[in-house]
Amino acid sequence: MADFVTYASLVEGDEFLHPPALFEVSQDAVNRYISATSDSTPELTELDADGDKIAPPMIAAVYVIDALRTRVGPPGGIHAKQQFTFHRPAKIGETLYTAAYVLKLYQRKGRNYVEMTTETKNQAGELITSGMITRIWGKE
Amino acid sequence: MFSVKQLQRYKNYTVGDTLPELIQTVEQSMIDAYADASGDINPLHIDPEFAKTTIFGGTIAHGLLTLAFVSRVLSRWNWQGWAYGGELDIAFLGPVYPGNEVRVTAEIDHIEQREDGIYARCLIACYCGDKAVVKGFCVCRVG
Repeated sequence: MADFVTYASLVEGDEFLHPPALFEVSQDAVNRYISATSDSTPELTELDADGDKIAPPMIAAVYVIDALRTRVGPPGGIHAKQQFTFHRPAKIGETLYTAAYVLKLYQRKGRNYVEMTTETKNQAGELITSGMITRIWGKE
Repeated sequence: MFSVKQLQRYKNYTVGDTLPELIQTVEQSMIDAYADASGDINPLHIDPEFAKTTIFGGTIAHGLLTLAFVSRVLSRWNWQGWAYGGELDIAFLGPVYPGNEVRVTAEIDHIEQREDGIYARCLIACYCGDKAVVKGFCVCRVG
């Protein structure tokens, strides 16, 4: 039994994560992301219109990939394309739940491609980020 | 309703305008910090001995670290439009190695009217030297 998700086990339309993966938007996680990416955007040091502290939009790259990493493919996979729509910034203290669905499976130049859609909502069901990721599946 | 010609220029946004470039040197220490912050500890990014055995011949930066630089450019240009409804669609074309200087460029190539407002589309490209490592576009509301 492979210790990774095999390409043959994927089915278009299937939910990839059961249940959706959880991510706590902590001040520490946001600080570490901002520091690692040298992001000095002034709005990140201010409160939003609701008086909340917010995270950079692209921290979606952390919670979405973190979610997808809970079910890994074989080593050697490559992240080929990425789409994001940032509905609003995540707020510190929120709990995010990321769901992923297999959208399309196809071969090109002898390699297996997987397209997945992702949708991240907070604990109240508000949509935070949606996206699509294209991965070249690693060789099994 | 604006005409296509009117939408060549909307307020301070004009088709053909370039956004201020960002140049960011990526060192291994930055890649390590991103691995720590993101939890993505794939040895291809942080283990030089392992990375030597791959087709890349050495460690490479996370592609999503490069997208963080793109986000910095768009946040400074139009925070509200980017963070609240911004759309990004990119392809990763090549690796970024430690010591590389990443240059992020963006140019407004289209302005359109949607039901809820006016949106600008920017072509985005990230380069290491002359080689494009990321290409795509973003869409942000501007009015």
